[in-house]
Amino acid sequence: MIELTVSRLNKRFGGNHVLKDVSFEVNGAEMIGLIGPNGAGKTTLTNVLDGAIKPNSGTVYLNGTRIDQLPSFEVAKVGLGRTFQITRSFRRMTVLENLYVPALALGKSHKGDDVKEQAMEVLEFLTMAHLRNEYARALSGGQQKLLELGRLLMLDPDIIILDEPFAGVHPKLMEVIYEYIRRVNERGKAMIIISHQMDSIFALCKRLLVLDYGDLIADDTPENVKNDPVVIEAYLGTTEDRTGTGERDDEMRPADV
Amino acid sequence: MNRQRVPHLLGVLIVAFFVAFPFVYSGGNYDYIMHICIIGFFYAILASSWSMLAGYAGQFSFGHMAFMGLGAYTTALFCHYFFISPEPTGICTEFAIGDQYLIIKNAIGVTSTTLTQDCLAQAMDKWNGTVEVTRMPVWLGVILGALVGGIFGLLIGLLVLRLRAAYLALFTLGFSEILRATISAEIQITRGQAGLELPSLFENGITIAGHFFSKTDKIPPYFVMLFLLLACLAVLYWLSQSRFGLFVRALREDQDAAAALGVNTTRYKVMVFVVTSSMAALAGTVYAHYVTIITPNNLMILQMSLVVAMAVIAGVENFIAAAIGAILIEFTLEMLRTSFSIGGVTIDMTLWRLVFFGVLLMLTLRFARNGLLAPLIDYFRRGHVAAETVVRRDNGGPGSDDPEASTDRQGAQA
Amino acid sequence: MQYSSIFWWTILWIVFWGVTGGIGTRRVYLHKDLDTSNATLGGSLIGAAFGPFGLAPLWWKSPEIGRVMITLSSLVVIGIIAAAFANADPENNCVSNGSFVASQITNGLIIGIIYGLMAMGLTLIFSILGIVSFAHGAFYMIGGMLVYYIINIWFPGTHPLIGVLGSCLITFGLGALFERLFLTPMYDGRVERPVEYGILVTFGLSFTLTYLVAALAGFNPVKVKRFFDFPRIRLPDNSDPWLIKTSRGNMELFDTVSISNPRFVAAILSIMVLLALLYFLHRTWTGKGLRAVSQDREAAAITGINPNRMNMLAFALGCMVASLSGAVLVQAFSWLPIVGQIPEMRSFVIVVLGGLGSLPGAFVGGTLVGLVEAAGTGCVPNPQKASSYIPAYGMIILTLMLLLRPMGLFGRKFASGAHGKF
Repeated sequence: MIELTVSRLNKRFGGNHVLKDVSFEVNGAEMIGLIGPNGAGKTTLTNVLDGAIKPNSGTVYLNGTRIDQLPSFEVAKVGLGRTFQITRSFRRMTVLENLYVPALALGKSHKGDDVKEQAMEVLEFLTMAHLRNEYARALSGGQQKLLELGRLLMLDPDIIILDEPFAGVHPKLMEVIYEYIRRVNERGKAMIIISHQMDSIFALCKRLLVLDYGDLIADDTPENVKNDPVVIEAYLGTTEDRTGTGERDDEMRPADV
Repeated sequence: MNRQRVPHLLGVLIVAFFVAFPFVYSGGNYDYIMHICIIGFFYAILASSWSMLAGYAGQFSFGHMAFMGLGAYTTALFCHYFFISPEPTGICTEFAIGDQYLIIKNAIGVTSTTLTQDCLAQAMDKWNGTVEVTRMPVWLGVILGALVGGIFGLLIGLLVLRLRAAYLALFTLGFSEILRATISAEIQITRGQAGLELPSLFENGITIAGHFFSKTDKIPPYFVMLFLLLACLAVLYWLSQSRFGLFVRALREDQDAAAALGVNTTRYKVMVFVVTSSMAALAGTVYAHYVTIITPNNLMILQMSLVVAMAVIAGVENFIAAAIGAILIEFTLEMLRTSFSIGGVTIDMTLWRLVFFGVLLMLTLRFARNGLLAPLIDYFRRGHVAAETVVRRDNGGPGSDDPEASTDRQGAQA
Repeated sequence: MQYSSIFWWTILWIVFWGVTGGIGTRRVYLHKDLDTSNATLGGSLIGAAFGPFGLAPLWWKSPEIGRVMITLSSLVVIGIIAAAFANADPENNCVSNGSFVASQITNGLIIGIIYGLMAMGLTLIFSILGIVSFAHGAFYMIGGMLVYYIINIWFPGTHPLIGVLGSCLITFGLGALFERLFLTPMYDGRVERPVEYGILVTFGLSFTLTYLVAALAGFNPVKVKRFFDFPRIRLPDNSDPWLIKTSRGNMELFDTVSISNPRFVAAILSIMVLLALLYFLHRTWTGKGLRAVSQDREAAAITGINPNRMNMLAFALGCMVASLSGAVLVQAFSWLPIVGQIPEMRSFVIVVLGGLGSLPGAFVGGTLVGLVEAAGTGCVPNPQKASSYIPAYGMIILTLMLLLRPMGLFGRKFASGAHGKF
């Protein structure tokens, strides 16, 4: 039974309060959509859960293990995997090598056949078996996205956070990604999907979390969220002052000349 | 024949060639050619370990020669200042070990060659030849050198964890310059520019299979360096085929993504520094004992540029290519040494060859980014991929017009 | 000369509390969720300056560490070191001889201006192209070499300033050509790791240029005589010129500070170039375009600036500035093909100190390094050691800076160029 408990998570960047007392729970193989306007703190939340940045306060437990102070590689081993908003495949490694990385990080050996078999299975599933020896940089953007999903399958985490999995993907590959999400969910994995494509989110998820400027303003079924005045206000209401650093916090600015 | 076998076969042939070479070759310039081979092996170790550091792990360090120098100076200082004697001198710093005494000579700098005033020399004067003082064994110095290189590699690796690309290059350059300046300045201990003399690898000669080799003979150091090169390549090969190689390449490509997939990036980044710097230090110790003198100039940026250029020209992402390239380039550079004159204009090849070398480096970087040798090896090793690629393209493979592809690239540069 | 033990204990004390402050303050500020960009540098300086008495209130109150605090505590650190030094070695020139100190400071400032100019070229290249040019020293060397060749060999009798101008034009062209030939693949993603590519290819250029010049000109040092003579000035009056006294090659101020002509002229020329450069960057369209590209490439491109054209301009301009600093200094030092190495390292130090990509930072860093080197040359008692250690002082500053505050004194966060974060 998968159990992710996030309680009273706070994150500030300097003066920016990017996450304000965010609490929620994931129980079992849920399919959850995480939405919110730009700068709402979605990516920051992902980064905090994943261990890439440490929260200022609050705790995160995954299956009884406290993960909010662990470095990201340990979080991955405890069972939380994520993709990135911009695709981050290992470009100068072959597709198979890309898949080996998480498997070997879990301590498996690539000398044995089972890892290779597993990788081939994943590739068949992603319709990429013929590309196994290609360098990742030779793949299209959509295929790289699939490869990233494939790496997550090799890591085999209990809970997967997908950051904008549909952005910039060819409609043909979109079908594969839908299928992937359904199948992975059927295997008993929980999923949190961040996306701006509402129709996809509404089609896939039974539960939505809505972040607005660091506040978790809704946690409900899609139908209720759609009619929630607070959410409508957040999306359509005040458009000024959405300058939280959540969305692109890792971007650096050049110094002045 | 299977095309993938070609590199293996060639590798075996090359090794066999170098093993047989000293016994087969009998030119008049035997010692000179042997010397070039030894130096070539030395650069091959440095270039291949640097290619592991820079090409595999993506840590473009300019301090590799400094680690070499660290190793060399460690063994040089060790052999220069430490002695074993059955009798206490009474004037040196000394420790009793069993019935022997470990004697640490005092540092009196440059003059110690001309004036025999250090404490050990005075004591030996007094003993008048009745006591036999022995040097420290060379192999102990070699091991110490490699250890010190590894320890400094660990420290530097820890310090540069947060630095990327340009900053890493500057930091390592700074480290190497500080080391060089310190060695040049602390004349009391290191003798500065005059350099430290070392005993040769086999100071008293060595007898192998009934044949005696004197200490100036080239064959023993040749095989020591060759063995060291092969050992380093074997270790590098083993590492590159194990999870280590996979992980360092992953962290070269994208550190955050690798961490998110469960790779302990810190550990592997530091490890690659430790491994490659102890290799450089090891090469440095043997080199120092071979040429029997080490000066701060060995650490100069020019030396570093040679190693970098060798690795890059041959292919920085393949350490075997880097090693072969280093030997080939060392040979070419030596062969091009002879100056000649055309129509009364003397061409000073000692300098022009370096100009050509620099141009070759730039052109390789510009037009053959994977180097000149590595693609060849890759061609044979990955020959089967080409066919599949054709199939893929026929099936309407990746859309290169996909806007996502170009934005991804920007993101992946981090 | 033996340093007293009190000297070494002071140094040890400073280092210990500096390290403690650097590591501890960052931890404390992280824990209290405050801005840590200054914490390491500020903490280590405050620790080094005031020891536990500074750190305890700092960690207790954890105020925002501002520029004033950093400057003050660094001054205190310098003061403590100077005091310990004076105490250990009261006979030293730097302690006992006031006019010597004044001279050193003036000369340090003057040479620092030229260092700053050279580093500005490097920082200009970095802020637009995002690469550290390892060919900077080679261009410095070529600048001086060209002046020598133009005014002594090719066109004897040419005015030195024409020579300087000529060398600028040639290096500008050379820089532009190199950028077109070798750096263009960086811009459109044809190179996987543009930063490393930039470093390596400029490294190759430096190697090539150095040996090309060596092959053509030989390894003998060349010397250019000074561009101008000082007019004879005696102020306030001829018999007692306490204010200023000049001979053709030297100038003496207040009877104490002596400045040699070549350095003075070089500094004046550098200041003029500096002003011209600032005017260009801030008052002309092209210069504004350059700055726009350095701040936001995409936004600049949208407004109709061609970033690739700006790349060429910036690289050529950077190379020209390097060669210019060589051209004005060729009258002060003897010139060799490898003469660029130390200035190149120094430029790296300066830009890291000031913040990669920050022009005012380069200038301030340049003067600071000039002062440090002057102190190093003047105060270290053993001249042989001093001459070996001087390049290392800069490198120690560089390594410390990278550890304490990698963005430099004036940089905002990590500076970045065209190719994302570093």
